[in-house]
Amino acid sequence: MNDSSAPAPAILQPASDNPNLQVRFKSEGGRLLLLLPPEAEVSANHSSASKSNASQEGANSDSAAGNSPSGNGANTSNWNDLWQQLKQRLNAGERFWQPETAVHLVARDRLLDVRQLQAIADALADAQLQLKRVYTSRRQTAVAAATTGYSVEQHSPVAHLNQPSAESGQALADPLYVQTVVRSGVEIRHPGTIVVLGDVNPGGSVIADGDVLVWGCLRGLAQAGAAGNGQCLIMALRMEPTQIRIAEFVARAPEMPPDQFHPEIAYVSSEGIRIARAAEFSRIRLS
Amino acid sequence: MSRIIVITSGKGGVGKTTCTANLGMALAQRGHKVAVVDADFGLRNLDLLLGLENRIVYTAVEVIAGECRLDQALVKDKRQPNLALLPAAQNRTKDAVNPDQMKQLVTSLTATYKYILVDSPAGIEMGFQNATAAAKEAIIVTTPEIAAVRDADRVIGLLEANDIKKVHLIVNRLRPAMVQEDMMMSVKDVQEILAVPLLGVIPDDERVIVSTNRGEPLVLSQNISMAGLAFSNIARRLEGEKVPFLDLMAAHDDLFSRIRRLFRNSSRN
Repeated sequence: MNDSSAPAPAILQPASDNPNLQVRFKSEGGRLLLLLPPEAEVSANHSSASKSNASQEGANSDSAAGNSPSGNGANTSNWNDLWQQLKQRLNAGERFWQPETAVHLVARDRLLDVRQLQAIADALADAQLQLKRVYTSRRQTAVAAATTGYSVEQHSPVAHLNQPSAESGQALADPLYVQTVVRSGVEIRHPGTIVVLGDVNPGGSVIADGDVLVWGCLRGLAQAGAAGNGQCLIMALRMEPTQIRIAEFVARAPEMPPDQFHPEIAYVSSEGIRIARAAEFSRIRLS
Repeated sequence: MSRIIVITSGKGGVGKTTCTANLGMALAQRGHKVAVVDADFGLRNLDLLLGLENRIVYTAVEVIAGECRLDQALVKDKRQPNLALLPAAQNRTKDAVNPDQMKQLVTSLTATYKYILVDSPAGIEMGFQNATAAAKEAIIVTTPEIAAVRDADRVIGLLEANDIKKVHLIVNRLRPAMVQEDMMMSVKDVQEILAVPLLGVIPDDERVIVSTNRGEPLVLSQNISMAGLAFSNIARRLEGEKVPFLDLMAAHDDLFSRIRRLFRNSSRN
């Protein structure tokens, strides 16, 4: 990978601001688009806690050294992360896929070999989805896709599909609805609102640019308004979080858990993050 | 139809190997051909727990390298001829084999054996990937401790992502008296977080230590212990039988502990 193809805007914006950070499905005109994150972003995911520019730059220089033997290892772990994310999203959305929907894979600058493409196609087939077309900016990926028998569209590396410019404001993506238990070690990021039907366990995290709604027990970490919107909310049927974050505010759960749990909503007030019972929330907000 | 079951936990020292040895023996006692596979290359223990250490000639690594046949490496148990052990190499590390080789090796056991139990090493690295490569189902072993449950949760997530969706739970080393006192997580607490079906609960028992040191699985002993009984029950549940759970709390639910609990609850409110 040469420097000109490295996505420069990634340095300019915080990690969570980038809508392309995780594997994502998007429906468009009856088809499903499967968007893969660009190479650099997934390795940035490893240092997920620190979202400083320094770690971003470190990640970029990692992938710049992609030709060295050590860079090769990074590529495998990259693929593993991508694979895990894809499987998680497929499992979590199972109920909603319509059989035999066509999927277009937007691979961007990601290198995929024949075996990996086949693995993606097989995983999609398990969910009764059909891989039809591959969009890529890499020649090797295009060749691999053609060999495997999918129609290919190759773009020039600079003009990423749907790549947002760093300067302009962006509309939130469509809400992400997942039916799953977000287990320890799993991180769900989405540049819009996230709805989780299931529990978020300790060690798991849900990070949204919009609201976070957990129809279950929130025991892990939830972050709403990750791009900086302090109006965003975190809602859970049972609020026992390790930590909650809204925009730049951070809060822990109270030391003593309450005797009874009610559906609750966390919001930012003038004194920081507050939690209100869902039933009383609208009154608090109005007064 | 053979069943390949991986026994794993994430955290070390929670009783994976003990469970593998006892479940393997219990299933063999029930008349099934069982192979137990030690996937803990470099830190093998399963042979010790089964008392088969001194009969190992070849290991899985030699089978994979083509230096011996599979049946030469398999160690048959003299006490229970239905049970065979495929030992791991002690002088190698986890990187000596890759998941594809392991998958091929374990799958080749299905020709002869009804149950293949793979004892996974702790962690989620290469050794774990090797152990899970061929498995179609998994048994998660955890103790009622926050750290063990957290790691078990992570492992279940990884298994699900690798298409192993038939996952069952064993809660090991439960101390009913401590649960009564509210000093230990209860089985219900563990289940609430992990949200996978429960296969059995094994009480903490000193005889487990004795049996591991002697190399005689608990289920073999004449006057069977609570832990041994729990293992036999788990083996029956694995076969699809409905066996009621042992009432471990009963012995500790005497008048005194009831009064103590009453006072503790009233002082809290």
